[in-house]
Amino acid sequence: MSGSPNALRRVLANPFAAIVIVALAWWIAVPLFKIEPRFLPPISVVFADGMSVWRDLAAGLWRTLLETVLGFLAGAILGIAFGVGFAYLRFLERAFFPIFVALQTVPVIAFGAIVVIWFGNTIMAKVVIALYLAFFPVAVNTLRGLETTDPQRIALMKSFGASGLQLFLKLALPTALPSIMIGLKLGISLSLAGAIVGEWFGDTVGLGVMLLQSLYFEQIPRVWVLIVACGALGTVLYGFLALIERRFVWWRPD
Amino acid sequence: MASRLSFLRSALPVAAALIGLLLLWQLGAMLFDVPTYILPRPGAIVATAIEKAGLLGSGLWITSVEAVLGFFVGTLIGLAAAVLMILAPPLEVALIPLVIVINSVPSIAFVPLVLIWFGLGIGSKVAIGALAVSFVVLLNALAGLKRPEADAINLMRSFGASRLGILWRLQLPAAMPSIVTGLRVGLARSTIAVIVAEMMGAYAGIGQIIYQSTAQVDYLTVWAAVFVASLGSLVLYGVLVAIDRKLVWWR
Repeated sequence: MSGSPNALRRVLANPFAAIVIVALAWWIAVPLFKIEPRFLPPISVVFADGMSVWRDLAAGLWRTLLETVLGFLAGAILGIAFGVGFAYLRFLERAFFPIFVALQTVPVIAFGAIVVIWFGNTIMAKVVIALYLAFFPVAVNTLRGLETTDPQRIALMKSFGASGLQLFLKLALPTALPSIMIGLKLGISLSLAGAIVGEWFGDTVGLGVMLLQSLYFEQIPRVWVLIVACGALGTVLYGFLALIERRFVWWRPD
Repeated sequence: MASRLSFLRSALPVAAALIGLLLLWQLGAMLFDVPTYILPRPGAIVATAIEKAGLLGSGLWITSVEAVLGFFVGTLIGLAAAVLMILAPPLEVALIPLVIVINSVPSIAFVPLVLIWFGLGIGSKVAIGALAVSFVVLLNALAGLKRPEADAINLMRSFGASRLGILWRLQLPAAMPSIVTGLRVGLARSTIAVIVAEMMGAYAGIGQIIYQSTAQVDYLTVWAAVFVASLGSLVLYGVLVAIDRKLVWWR
């Protein structure tokens, strides 16, 4: 294997290059294969449609971003706290962890209407849905990560007189962090989905609201504008976490 | 005998916790006289689920068929695409940007599109389920298939193994844990995507029941439907865990 195909592959796997390439392919393919606008409108039409509603789009992006980030942060903090609690209080883990795994499969999005009743038609309702969705993967992965701590190392550190807190901060937490990061990355995309769907149960601002409207009026270019906007938001959020991971959690558990 | 005992030992605390939680919920709701529209009592939810068993059962059946069909179609597409990309690397180089870009969009954002394309019937739900699954499976399978080192591949080749033989005997078994992880994430995503699609537009299914009951302010039925849907996805999850143990027994 020479270097150039690998180098080419790396360039193509870069998200920014990927976006440019896909945009170019879109631009060329639609007139080339005479794709019907019903399936994929020309990129110029989608771009023009996006520009014509840029105010709503910007407001929607901001609102959905806010809901996602608030819900995700709360869900991540709670999830890590529960994961740590489960790891150190085994009877809790025995009794509640299987229930957690089961609750994770609950189609929470169906609760949207109920959450809106509880919290009113406020940003809070969407934050709670995003929180619930982010919580489980973070809790489960925190517990799994803490469980992989090597008992021999624990014994070694204990023999040097390490306290429980020192054991946690210097050994267990660093061992668990890569796994926690996996949970966070799963959680952030679920939070985004939760925020978008949460907006369907009655709101006036947000990407989810615009998505619902575009379906009602069958505005296909607008649907594509929103797909691109949701994708951009998802990529930015995920990319931010990936960046943090590369900066601060670069080690791998053996 | 021993395995039975260990099963009891692990099941007992869970059952106790579950019963405790439900009792707490029931008693709390009775004590504070919480109105049904805010939080119905578990007893009332189960009673509603039994009373409307016919409606909920047929809805669950349709949703399950859609989710399982979508899951299978998506898994097949994802696995086939991964194998093709491994056999023909230029294909991977050409298609991976598209995969990355589409995968970064939450699959529920495609719901309006599939509804417009495939109508309100089963087709659109299968399509969205397949979409939610295929990319996770593809990316996980691709990563797993690449796991065996070049040395091991070269060794098999030096013994005269064909390209497909290497794929079947070395790369696929090595990729199994990663593929199963993809399946598990994919299953959860596809059930959610199918239910969401049903809520936005469908003739039948659990999501449609939830949407209608919400519109009719019939919150007991909403809770009962969520309850039934949770039981359904729990069964699906259990099947997948069992498959995981069977397929990846060597871990």
